[in-house]
Amino acid sequence: MTKSDVVVVGGGSTGTAVARDCALRGLKTLMLERDDIASATVGTCAGMISSGLKYMDEPHIVDMCSQEVVHLNRIARHIVMKNPILTPMLELSDLSSGGSFAEEYSKRAAKREVPPVLFLTPEDSLKIEPKLNPNIIASMYFEEFFIDPFRLCMLQAIDAQRAGALIRTYCEVIDITVKDDSVDEVLFYDRVKGDIERVKTKTVVNAGGPWAPGIAKMAESNVEIRPNKGAHVILDRRVVNVGIIAKAVDGRMIYLFPHENTVLLGTTALDTWEDPDTLVASHDEIEYLLQSMEWVVPSIREARIIRTMAGVRPLVANWKVPEDKVTRGYETIDHEFEDVRGLFSFTGGKLVMCRHMAETVTDLVCEKLGVKHKCTTHEIPLPGMEADVDILAFSADYGISQHAVERLRARRGTEMTRVLELTRENPDWRTTICACEPVLEAEIRYSIREEFPQNLNDLRRRVRLGTGPCQGTFCTYKASAILMEELDLSGEGFKVDILDFLAERWKGKRQSFRREQLVQEEVTQGMYTCVANLDQSEIEYDPKPWEGSI
Amino acid sequence: MNLEADIVIVGGGMAGLVAGTIASEGGLSSIVLRKGESATSMSSGAIDVVGYLPDGTIPFESPKEGLVALASLYPFHPYSILGFGEGKPAFAEKVITGVEAAVGWLKDKLKDSVAKIVGGLDSNILSLSILGTTKPTCLIQETMVSDGFANEFDSTLLFLGVKGYPDFFASAAAKSFLEQSEIEQEGPRKVAHSTVRISPFGNTCNISASEIARHLDHDDALGELLPQIKKTVDTLGATHVALPPILGIKNARGNRQRIEEEVGAIVFELLAFPPSIPGLRLQRALEETYRKSGGQLLLGHEALSAYKEKNRYVSVQAGAPRRSIRISTKAVVSATGKFIGGGLRGAEDGLTETVFNLMTVTGNLIQADNIRPYDYTSPFAVDTGGHSIFSCGLTVDPQFRPVMPDGQPDADNLFAAGSTLAGYDYLVEKSGLGVALVSGFYAGKNAADAAKEVD
Repeated sequence: MTKSDVVVVGGGSTGTAVARDCALRGLKTLMLERDDIASATVGTCAGMISSGLKYMDEPHIVDMCSQEVVHLNRIARHIVMKNPILTPMLELSDLSSGGSFAEEYSKRAAKREVPPVLFLTPEDSLKIEPKLNPNIIASMYFEEFFIDPFRLCMLQAIDAQRAGALIRTYCEVIDITVKDDSVDEVLFYDRVKGDIERVKTKTVVNAGGPWAPGIAKMAESNVEIRPNKGAHVILDRRVVNVGIIAKAVDGRMIYLFPHENTVLLGTTALDTWEDPDTLVASHDEIEYLLQSMEWVVPSIREARIIRTMAGVRPLVANWKVPEDKVTRGYETIDHEFEDVRGLFSFTGGKLVMCRHMAETVTDLVCEKLGVKHKCTTHEIPLPGMEADVDILAFSADYGISQHAVERLRARRGTEMTRVLELTRENPDWRTTICACEPVLEAEIRYSIREEFPQNLNDLRRRVRLGTGPCQGTFCTYKASAILMEELDLSGEGFKVDILDFLAERWKGKRQSFRREQLVQEEVTQGMYTCVANLDQSEIEYDPKPWEGSI
Repeated sequence: MNLEADIVIVGGGMAGLVAGTIASEGGLSSIVLRKGESATSMSSGAIDVVGYLPDGTIPFESPKEGLVALASLYPFHPYSILGFGEGKPAFAEKVITGVEAAVGWLKDKLKDSVAKIVGGLDSNILSLSILGTTKPTCLIQETMVSDGFANEFDSTLLFLGVKGYPDFFASAAAKSFLEQSEIEQEGPRKVAHSTVRISPFGNTCNISASEIARHLDHDDALGELLPQIKKTVDTLGATHVALPPILGIKNARGNRQRIEEEVGAIVFELLAFPPSIPGLRLQRALEETYRKSGGQLLLGHEALSAYKEKNRYVSVQAGAPRRSIRISTKAVVSATGKFIGGGLRGAEDGLTETVFNLMTVTGNLIQADNIRPYDYTSPFAVDTGGHSIFSCGLTVDPQFRPVMPDGQPDADNLFAAGSTLAGYDYLVEKSGLGVALVSGFYAGKNAADAAKEVD
């Protein structure tokens, strides 16, 4: 492509949503992501599509979020999960603050098809979650929806692709030229091929998240954000039955959310000046989260921590207020005011708003291009949403365990049959490659063929490879061999992919390295260092950004 | 329940079973406590002595060369300890003689077992792994002997996988190995790969190594496999066949011989990841050796604590799911392993030794009870320098007695062996089972002497 109507920069939740909206409205769309789909901010979030518990003082945003939950349930029900949540209270003062939340929440509950907030006695609370501190005086019960953030972004990207958009990962924008006060050309570097390409375009949507200021600068424009670091601690299994929200040491709200096969403990919120590429959770953040949760779940430290993750929220640049007073809304910037027509940027926003943000900016893009099509992204389902899936029948039909089939469904909905069909011709592809999740060989091969991953880390985002307790110990070498076969990589490529994925997993494991993970790591090192001797392999290994910042 | 033994050995992997056998051979009664599967049984089944210096990148031609280097550069390495005499560091020759004695002893013990080993201290063997990479090791099981395909000009090496068995992808191993040998300009003239079908117990997918191995232990099970291998070997003109280690738990040696006779090529097993059958074979052979020597092996029993009177341990308390045992004893060997074995435990606020509450130290012999494990890791996941957390453990005197902060042994009759020892990183040195063997051998001897003193 040498010409397009719109170039979307960034392949996170917003960028993929924008690409989808633009493509569905018939625009010639090119999306450029310098890494992989969902590889930065959205990849480190908890996946909550929140009704707005934390921003009750911005009622218009709460309204918008509630409406977006309804939309997401319509277009992506197959990747949405509902989690009951308990907010235990240890002091009377907690009760009064809970009251106003309950009122706001309950007003919008019926719309989202959830019950209004219930107040539970300590006995009833403990029946639901026996791990709670028995000294609580009451708890609030309500329900929130969660979405698989990786699959949401993937499905948005795939849907955009099917509607004609060009989705290019590993393509980094290096310049945006402006001619006669309008954007004219985007220059980008294809990191896989090593080529520089250029594309003529009338509009550019800057959905770069924490990188948005840098992208704007290329077009001699300005975006200001307030970068905010958030870290999560990930536990090895669903140690709680329901989500728990608690007050942290500094009075902020933190949570413990069951997520897929794990539990997420999060999150911190720190103004940050770090490079998002080198960012890792700090010891202080881990201990802050553990101590804060310990008051309501006293046994939390007995749980096995498998890793941490950290990301940067590109908050709206409200300065001189505490982080939790910064608006949770988003802003769309039309850079025409600084004489750059056709460039639009975002600041702020939450996962739940990504479709809404896309609609807003696509309206602006269409206006600029003189296109009249209306937005349909809240009506057209994402791939895989056609019908309900009969897990038991598929399990029996294809001779695959119910658990594996259900996990496959949670990622792909009805499109799981495309994976299952591959096992008809190759029955041995029913073999489990990642046992923690589990992930079958057939799904890995399907994903490589259809979802454009370049490496094992990309596969992780698509199929949850290596996300369980063993953190890739037992699947890395197997999946790497499959990737090598499918992409016809060299023997060196096979080993580089192993080392790259081990490095990426180690990034998260290392920060919370303790207890059972020492045992796990001795096994991992025993395999890749001791037996396979990979520490001595003379391959071309590119050090990762975070490996340099000790 | 109460039991009595001259020596109690805590831990039933390589170090513990060797120590136990040595004690039995010294005419003493002994009990080995093993709480679960040992790290030895999860190993590749090859016995490394030493392949590299820590952070070194040039492999040692021979373990002897390595032992000499360690003796001069790392005087507190578990091997170097053998060189101490009369309180001062002695010579590398003493280390070599010491290691040679242990290696010779083990080779003799295992010569008729399922884990018969070959090799010695005069040269390291460059062994092939399931990833197609090579590593220097000292002793390999007979079924892993590849008969120098690397030097034969006209050889064709065939990597053979099994459909539905995901631990080994022949295509990846073949490519990885071929490129490496092209760089090094040696190795076979041709490399090929293929797969065969075996369906142990009717399975066609999710097949595990132990299923295949147990299947091939049956007398007639090779029938399904032989024609397939023969056809592939004939088609490709293979002179050597590399298989994942699946040839049997009991019958691997016999199976290998039969395949070689039938297909007319050299057949050998690769080094593999856990669960690895050769590791299991080694574990079984060591257990059999120990039992034959007269020792008593208590499986599923975990040492919980030990009682001291004055400067000597007099009993060990062990627990199993439904019982608790007190074993009166004259000497104790702690061969509890590192993190996998459970001998060491690392929390966010320090390292502890789990049974005797001994002092833990870092690889540099600095007390480790307050360290944060993170601080003893490298930012690189796989690093020739390793992660120094794995060189933490117990520090011992020249008798292999664990030493406490006052510099004195914890007890006159407690000895430590195996990966619970500090001062070496087996992962990067490639020295794991070798240190376990040698330290188990001498800790066992010293424990026997200490037990005899009581009489």
